[in-house]
Amino acid sequence: MLFLVALLPVLAALGIPLAFRLAGSADRRLLLAIAMAGLGLTLLLALLAAAGGWTGIIVWSGPLRLTAVLTPIAGAMAMLVPVIALPILAYAAFHEDEIGLGRLVAILLLFVAGMELLLIADDLLTLLIGWELVGVCSYLLIAHEWRHADNAASGLYAFLMTRFGDLGLFAAAMAAYAATGSFSYDSLSDVSGPLAFVVAFGLLLSAVSKSGQIPFSPWLFRAMAGPTSVSALLHAATMVAAGAYILIRLEPFLTTVPGVPETIVAIGLATALLGGLVATLQNHAKKLLAASTSAHYGLMFVAVGSGYPGIAFLHLVAHAAFKAVLFLAAGIAGERAGSYGQHLMGFARALPLVAVMTAIGALSLAGLPPLGGAWTKEAIVTAAEHGSLWVAAGVILAGALSAAYATRFQLSAFGLIERQEQEASKAKPGRAETGAVVALALLTLATSLVWVPSVREALGRALEIEPHRGEPCHTCPVDRRRRFGCPDWHSLGPPLSGDRSYGTVFGDGGLARPAGPDRADRHPPRDTLGSGSRGGGRSGDRCRRPADRR
Amino acid sequence: MALAISLMSGLLFLCALAWPADYKGRARQYYAWFLFLQGVSLGLFLTLDLLVFYVFFDLSLVGMYFLIGRWGHGDAEYAALKFFIYTLAGSLAILLAILGLVLANDTLTFDMRELIAAQPLQGVDVRSSLVLLGFLVGFAIKTPLVPFHTWLPLAHVEAPGPASAILAGVLLKMGTYGIVRIPFSMMRETFAAYALPLAIVALMSILWGAIVALGQTNLKRRIAYTSVNHMGYTVLGIAAAGAAIGGDAARTLALNGAITEMVAHGLITGALFLMAGSFWQRTGTYELSAYGGLARVAPKLMIGFFLAAFASFGLPALAGFVAEFQIFAGTFAIYPWLAAIGLIGILITAALFLSMLQKIFFGDLVDQRQGFADLNRTEVGFLALLLVLVVLIGIYPGWLLTMIETGSAFLPLQGTEG
Repeated sequence: MLFLVALLPVLAALGIPLAFRLAGSADRRLLLAIAMAGLGLTLLLALLAAAGGWTGIIVWSGPLRLTAVLTPIAGAMAMLVPVIALPILAYAAFHEDEIGLGRLVAILLLFVAGMELLLIADDLLTLLIGWELVGVCSYLLIAHEWRHADNAASGLYAFLMTRFGDLGLFAAAMAAYAATGSFSYDSLSDVSGPLAFVVAFGLLLSAVSKSGQIPFSPWLFRAMAGPTSVSALLHAATMVAAGAYILIRLEPFLTTVPGVPETIVAIGLATALLGGLVATLQNHAKKLLAASTSAHYGLMFVAVGSGYPGIAFLHLVAHAAFKAVLFLAAGIAGERAGSYGQHLMGFARALPLVAVMTAIGALSLAGLPPLGGAWTKEAIVTAAEHGSLWVAAGVILAGALSAAYATRFQLSAFGLIERQEQEASKAKPGRAETGAVVALALLTLATSLVWVPSVREALGRALEIEPHRGEPCHTCPVDRRRRFGCPDWHSLGPPLSGDRSYGTVFGDGGLARPAGPDRADRHPPRDTLGSGSRGGGRSGDRCRRPADRR
Repeated sequence: MALAISLMSGLLFLCALAWPADYKGRARQYYAWFLFLQGVSLGLFLTLDLLVFYVFFDLSLVGMYFLIGRWGHGDAEYAALKFFIYTLAGSLAILLAILGLVLANDTLTFDMRELIAAQPLQGVDVRSSLVLLGFLVGFAIKTPLVPFHTWLPLAHVEAPGPASAILAGVLLKMGTYGIVRIPFSMMRETFAAYALPLAIVALMSILWGAIVALGQTNLKRRIAYTSVNHMGYTVLGIAAAGAAIGGDAARTLALNGAITEMVAHGLITGALFLMAGSFWQRTGTYELSAYGGLARVAPKLMIGFFLAAFASFGLPALAGFVAEFQIFAGTFAIYPWLAAIGLIGILITAALFLSMLQKIFFGDLVDQRQGFADLNRTEVGFLALLLVLVVLIGIYPGWLLTMIETGSAFLPLQGTEG
């Protein structure tokens, strides 16, 4: 049943050539209708599946079976992907060149299908299938304008980079099978010894390459050879998100393997800082955003590695919303300027509506309250602080860099001074393009709701990153403790202490607080991770281990 | 196993027969030799008698020799001769090994089932080692494994497209099928003792085949070397399955993977070579530098070629992945290092196929290819037949795996001590 969620976009993609043949011509409106119908139904199915607790299983033979299940976070991701993809595909249907447009939209739909498959996967085999499908679709999308051999070369580069990471996933699946005779996620907890290292670091390798972390970041830049809508989808909710997602999904297992959380944090932090630096220096509008993407996924890695997958997920959502806005806006500005050089842009007067919408995205990227990106970024600072003050300091620096390049992007691309001297195309965005930007900007605004404590609580409950208020630790379901740390508000991060308001971007003196549990406490008893030293007076009734109360 | 491979062979023969080729004015002989080869090949896969197996094995050489020599192009006769001498040497080794095996048995019989039950040669003494060596060398030439592969690229390049498809899709399988059927089944103790060296040779084939393929500038040579690579996967799976270590489940998985790979490789590489034949039919050259930007003029060919290439480098939801995943997962449980190193092959094949596709189809259209004709209706039809199966096996391989498992149930996996 659940596999329908992944099957539907495939059907929609197959419907495109069929519809063209029936209609006799390639029509943008027709394309839009098919894409909207496909994604809308996917969204609906994902909703139904999450509500109805659907699962799926396809047995090949023996241990080879495809299984699918929706954990709360997987369910949320499965809905997020079509929500983000809808405006992006609408934009694609009207913004991109006529030549090969049907192919572009069809492959974008396949891409969404691959992504959905890897989200619903409950075993490494299914994950690998979705993972590789996303990879190959990205190749086809980046090489979309194949008439220029350069684009194809960029596609190949990106594909080989990510496929190198896929080998890690292959290795992880093989090692899991060797250890347990099964590929399912559940059996991962039985893997131990050297094989656990192979599984964990294999997964990490594939996540790092997919999410464009160091040393795989360059492919994100080469991926900019694709059309704007491709970049937007690639960087917002699919492909790049897959790496962070799988770390979030398998975090309970990954943190049991010594050395893995530290590696995740180290890679994430290094990428966040270097990515931020590159973005600050970059003049190419899309490449600036690409660098910023890898930096922000670095921040998510830091959150996961510090033991807060819930926060990483919220940041993923916030990032997906604002990054999609910015990419689409960059596409509009690039079309008008005839190049992506920011020194040629400056369209605040020419395109006021788009400029305002972009500002929303840029401010969220910069981390200005009350936008969603601000809350999640701040939460990551606090999460990182539980590991080490240095990491927190690094995250703050990365945050400052993102504020800097967000400002620069906004002021140069949509600044008040139009710097273009020669008379170039006065391309104006069509209604669908503007509509897509507005829709995504509204979504970005919606992420601001995470500042409202009651919304946050509801969210925490729905995503099961919610504490059991008043339940002593030993009554918490064991698997939940393993999965999300000892249930505590801290799974959702600092601002959830609720009664305090956070005036500054980076939390109210988060640095002043004592650091979290000693590193020695971090594993193997996974429970200590979630229950950092935050939360003041409410600790008595909460799941708190004595070790944390020093 | 035999059923699955025979069905695949039959289908591939059908497509190869129907595929347009250059008959050189001798259409009757062309089809006669083709049908002869088909009969011989199916006989080889279906027989239960060692002697008949050997006869068919030799006759298949004859059929292919004439197809390459008469209807090939370029230096066809030299290529055919090299092919013939190489594999004939291999089959002599097999003949000696068969005699050694049969004479070691108490009663004189060539019945495969009885020989499997009797296990006439055991242990690792000189005699059984030599017999095993004879089988392995003979089949390794046919498969081909590095370092016995040098006849293959030459034969492929000079052979007409459909004959290449049969050579890669069916004749190479005789080698791996033979390994499973004879030494793997009839001499399991000896085979288990030498499984590791065999696996190492297979690994060399995987890497060598992939790396050399990457360096080729000739369309057909490139595909030919990927066959060396893929047959390396197959033998790796067989060797892992035959090793007397590791759990039964993992070894069954490796063997099933190897057999699936035989079927998948037959369909995929068959399709690739058929399309390569179409390139020759239209332009008379296999040099990659002579192509470029063909996506403009031959979109159908592009879709078919892309799909087959994706399948060949093991993209999920296509047949190659199902096979390779099983081989690697099974082998890793037995020889972790070999499987881990072998994974690199997956990456290189992706690089070599995609760079080839980009050269042929993307970029600017090369001038002398202006009038390049797309696939015609016959070609599209039979290509679709092969590729639909590739997709079907990739998405829902349950039926194929069941067929393979039923067939290989008699194989002595449970016999050796786990």
